[in-house]
Amino acid sequence: MDAYLLNVVNGVAYGLLLFTVAAGLTLALGVADVLNLAHGSLYVVGGYVAWAFTDGGWGGFVLALLVAVAVGALLGAGLSAAVAPLSKRGHLPQALLTFGISLLLIQALVAMFGADDLSPAMPAALDGDVSLMGHRYPGYRLAFIGIAVVLAVAGWMIMSRTRVGARVRAIVDDRDMVACLGTNPRLVMVGVLAASGALAGLAGALGSPIFGPGPTRAHDIMITSLVIVVLGGLGSIPGAFVAALVVGQIEGLGPLIAGDWTSYLVLGAMAVVLVVRGPRRLGLAAAR
Amino acid sequence: MRSPLWKLGAAAVAVGVMAVTMTGCAGSGASADTVNIGWEYPKSGTFQALGIDMENGFNLYLKTHHNKLGGRNVKLVPADETDKPDESLKQAQRLVEKENVQALAGIMNSAALVAIDPYAQENKIPIVSSGGRPDLKPKQLDGVWHTGSINEHGGEAAAPYIKKQVDGPVYAMGADYAGGWPKVKGFTKQFQKLGGKLANADGKPEWTSFPKAPDFQPYMNKIADSGAKAIFAFYSGTQAIDFIKAWASSDAADIPLYGPNLTEGSLLKAEGKSAKGIYTPANYSADLDNSANRDFVSKWTADNRPGLPDLYAATAWDAAQVLDKAIKAIPAGEEVTGEKINKQISKLGEISSPRGDWQFDSKTHAPIQPWYMRVVKMDGNKLSNVKIADLETL
Amino acid sequence: MIARLSRWWPVILLAVLAAIPFTVDTWTVGTLSRTLAVGVLAISVALLTGIAGLPTLGQVAPYAVGAYLTVALAAAGFSVGPMQLLLAAAAGAVFNAAIGAAVIRTRGAAFLMVTLAVCGLTEEVAQQWTSVTGGSDGTGWMPAFTLWWGGADVTDKSTVYWYALAVTAIAAAAMIALNRSTAGTLVRAARDDELRMRASGHRVGVLLWGTYTVAGAVAGLAGGLLAEVVRFVSPSDVDLSASALVLLAVVIGGTSSIVGAVLGAAVLLVMQDQIITALGDAAQGQAPVVLGAVAVACVYLLPKGLSGLREHLPRRRRSRRQEAA
Repeated sequence: MDAYLLNVVNGVAYGLLLFTVAAGLTLALGVADVLNLAHGSLYVVGGYVAWAFTDGGWGGFVLALLVAVAVGALLGAGLSAAVAPLSKRGHLPQALLTFGISLLLIQALVAMFGADDLSPAMPAALDGDVSLMGHRYPGYRLAFIGIAVVLAVAGWMIMSRTRVGARVRAIVDDRDMVACLGTNPRLVMVGVLAASGALAGLAGALGSPIFGPGPTRAHDIMITSLVIVVLGGLGSIPGAFVAALVVGQIEGLGPLIAGDWTSYLVLGAMAVVLVVRGPRRLGLAAAR
Repeated sequence: MRSPLWKLGAAAVAVGVMAVTMTGCAGSGASADTVNIGWEYPKSGTFQALGIDMENGFNLYLKTHHNKLGGRNVKLVPADETDKPDESLKQAQRLVEKENVQALAGIMNSAALVAIDPYAQENKIPIVSSGGRPDLKPKQLDGVWHTGSINEHGGEAAAPYIKKQVDGPVYAMGADYAGGWPKVKGFTKQFQKLGGKLANADGKPEWTSFPKAPDFQPYMNKIADSGAKAIFAFYSGTQAIDFIKAWASSDAADIPLYGPNLTEGSLLKAEGKSAKGIYTPANYSADLDNSANRDFVSKWTADNRPGLPDLYAATAWDAAQVLDKAIKAIPAGEEVTGEKINKQISKLGEISSPRGDWQFDSKTHAPIQPWYMRVVKMDGNKLSNVKIADLETL
Repeated sequence: MIARLSRWWPVILLAVLAAIPFTVDTWTVGTLSRTLAVGVLAISVALLTGIAGLPTLGQVAPYAVGAYLTVALAAAGFSVGPMQLLLAAAAGAVFNAAIGAAVIRTRGAAFLMVTLAVCGLTEEVAQQWTSVTGGSDGTGWMPAFTLWWGGADVTDKSTVYWYALAVTAIAAAAMIALNRSTAGTLVRAARDDELRMRASGHRVGVLLWGTYTVAGAVAGLAGGLLAEVVRFVSPSDVDLSASALVLLAVVIGGTSSIVGAVLGAAVLLVMQDQIITALGDAAQGQAPVVLGAVAVACVYLLPKGLSGLREHLPRRRRSRRQEAA
C-alpha cells in the first residue's frame, strides 16, 4: 500500500512538471493560435541555462531561473516574429516552421554544450534525500511540488483576477470579437508567445534535476505536453492542470499496475478520449 | 503578382544545382600504397555521445601511427551512422559505391550492424565493428568482425560473481528493445543456471519503455518492495542517467546495483555522486595495469583527449589495431582489397590490447577476452570506475 | 510554347525522371528508389491531409503493415514483386478500414493527435513484435523480388528504380483520377463545408471512412515498395520522425497536390543526401541542420508549396487542374 501512496505523491510531482511545460504550450495554441513544435526545445534551453549557471549555491540557482525565464521569453518573442507572416495559413505551416526551428535550435545547443546529457548542480538544501512516509525520496521533487503549486496559483490569479487574464480568456473564447474591441492582435501574439516561452524555459530549469538537458529530451517532452494540451482542451489552463495530473498518475502507478503495458497507456488513453468525445467544434474549426 | 517567373527560375536553378552535385565525382580507387577505410559512426542522434568516444579511440590510433595502417597511407572516409538503421545502411552503401572503401569500421548501433551486414557481405567488404554486437548467425559472420563484445557477455560474465556476493534474489530490468534484451538476459540465463532466483514478481525481467525515457522513480519503489538483495539493470545514454538518479534517491539505494554500461564514459560525469557504489561488468577499465593500457592512457592524456578513455574508445582503438595488423600482413606492393583484409584478419593471433590480450573466436568473430568487475568510487578527487575483481574470460 | 508544353507535363516529368539513372551514380539511384517509396506514402498523406482535410501522422501504420507483410511474404518464398505490392495494399486498406471507423470520428487538431497516438503505437508494436519485425534490429536482409512468377531476381539498381518509378506513377495517376471523380469532389466539398454537406443529405462519415481506407491501400503499397527497394525494414521507418518528415513533404508539395507530395518527399530526402555529400566529410552529422533549414525555407519561399509554382505558368486550363492535381 505504501508503495502506491509514494507513487501517487511522485505522480503529482511528475504531473506538475508536465503542467508547467504544457501550460505554456496551451497558451500558445489557445490564445495565440500557434502550434509551436519548438516548445520542447525551449524546455531544453532552460535546462542548459540551468546547467551553465548553477553552482551548488542559492545565488546560482536563482540566477539560473531568471536567465532561463529571460532566454525563454526572448526566444518565444522571436518565434512570434517568425510565425507572424503565416497568420492566415493555418496550423500546418506553423508546425512545419517550428519543427524546422526546433531542429536548428537543438543542433545549435549540441554545438554549444556537446552531445552529452548534463546535470546541473542544485543547492545542497534541495539536492539531498528526505524521508517521506518512512521511505527515502528525492527532496527536490517535494520542493518542486511546492514551487509548482505556487506557480499554478499565481497563474490562476493572473488569469482570473486581472484585466490581462480576462482579455486572454476572452481571446480563447472569441478571437475576432476581442480584436474588434480594440486589442492589438500583434501585441497579444508577442506577449503570449513570450510568456509561453518563459514558462517553457522556467520549466526546463526547474525540471533539470528530474529530466535534465540533452539532445533527445525535447522530443519526449514535446509529445507528452501535446497530449496534455489536447486532453485538457486547447487554451484551457485548468484543463491542462487536470490532464497533467492524470498523466502523472498514469505514469506513476502504471509500473505497479500495468507492468509492460505502461508505455502504451498514455497515448492509448488519449486516443480513446478523443474518439469517444467525437467531432466537436474545436476540431472542425482547427483543421486547416 | 510581381515578376511571376522569378520563383520558377529559382526552382530551376535549384534543380540544376542538385543535378550537378548528384553527378559529382566518385572517390579514387585503391592502389598498392593507400587504403580507403569507411569510418561510419554516430555523428547525430541518440548515440552521438558514444560516437565521440569511439572516434577518439580510433583517431588516436591513427594519429599515433603516422596516419598509416599496415604501412599504407589511410584515406579515412567518415559517414554519419545516425540512430536510424536504414540511414546507416544508406551511408554504408555510399562508402562502398561512391568512395570505394576496402573496409568498414565503427558502427555503434546493433541494429545498424544487422542492416549493413548482408550488404557488406554481398560486396565482399569486411566490417570491423566495435559497438553493439547482437547474436548473428554463422552465415552472417563471413567478413564480419567485432572488437567490442557480444551483447550477452557482460551479464554472463557477471553472473557467477553476483551469485557469490549476493545472498538472495536479484531484480532484473532493462530498456525494452532488441539492444537491451540480450544485455539483461545474458545475466538472468546464467544466474538462473547457477541456481539464482529473480526477485521480479513473475520471475521475468522487467522491461521499460524505449526510446522514450520513463519516470524511473515508481519502479524504484516497486524494486524496494520486492525483497531483492541486488539489482541487475541495463540502460544507456539519457535513460541510464535518469535511472541512476532515481535509484540513488529511493529505498532501492540500499540494494546494490549491477549492470553493464550504466556508468560508462561521459555518463558518469552527469550521474555524479548518485553513481557511487555502482558495479559494472566490463571488458575494459582505464586503471588496468598492463603495458598496452599504460601506453594507451598516456597517449590519450598526452593528446588532450577528454577525461580517461572508456570502453568504446578502447574497443575502437583495437578496431584500428586489427586493421593495421591485417593490412600489414598483405605483402607490400600488392593492392589492398576487402577480401585480402578479411583473409588476414582471420589469421590474426593474439592481440595485445589495453584491455588485456584477446583473440577472435573463430565461431563468433568476436573477442575471447578477460572481463572485469568495476565499482564507482572516488579516485583521488573525482569519481571513476575502478576495477575490483577479475571475472571469467568469455 | 510553354503553354503547349505544360499540357504534356506528366509525360515530360516521367521522361526526365526515367532518364536519371543514365546521368547519376548507382548509389544516388538507390537513394532515389527509396525516395519514391516515401513519395507514395506522401501521396496517401496528401489524400487525407489536403484533399479530405484530415491532417494525419498515422499513415505509417498501414505503411508498416505493408512493409512487414512484404518482408514476411518474401521470407516465405513468395517473391513476385507486383503481387507483393497488391497484397501489401490490400492489407493496408483492411487495416485502415478497421481503425478508420474510430479515427474519423475526430477532425482537425484532434484527428492529428489521434493519428499521433496511432503512430506511437505503431512504433511500439514494431519494436515489440519481434517474431515478425525483428524489433529494433529490423527485419534483416529481405530476398530480392522478381517481376513475375519464375522471373529473375531484380537487383540491378536502375531496374529497381524504374520499377519504383512505374509503381509511383500508377499510384499517382490513380489518385489524381480518383480526386477528379465525383467521389473526389464530394470529399473536397466535405472538407470545405462539412455541415452543409451533411445538411444536403451526404453521408460524410462513410465518405471519409472510404477515403481513409483508400489512403490505407496507398500507404500499404508504399510500405511494400519500401521493403522491396531497400530490402530492410526497421521501426525507424515507421516512427514519429518518419511521419513528421512525410507530413512536411506534403506541406512542401502544396498539401493537396498528389504530384507535389512526391516532389516534396524528393526535395527533402534528395536535398538532405546530396547537400551533405556535396559539402564533404565535415558535413557528416549535419543532416538535421539541412532538414531544419529546408523546412524553414520552404515555409517562407513556397507559401503554396511546390504546386503553387504552377500558378506562374501561363494560365491555361488552370482552374480544373489546380484542385485536381
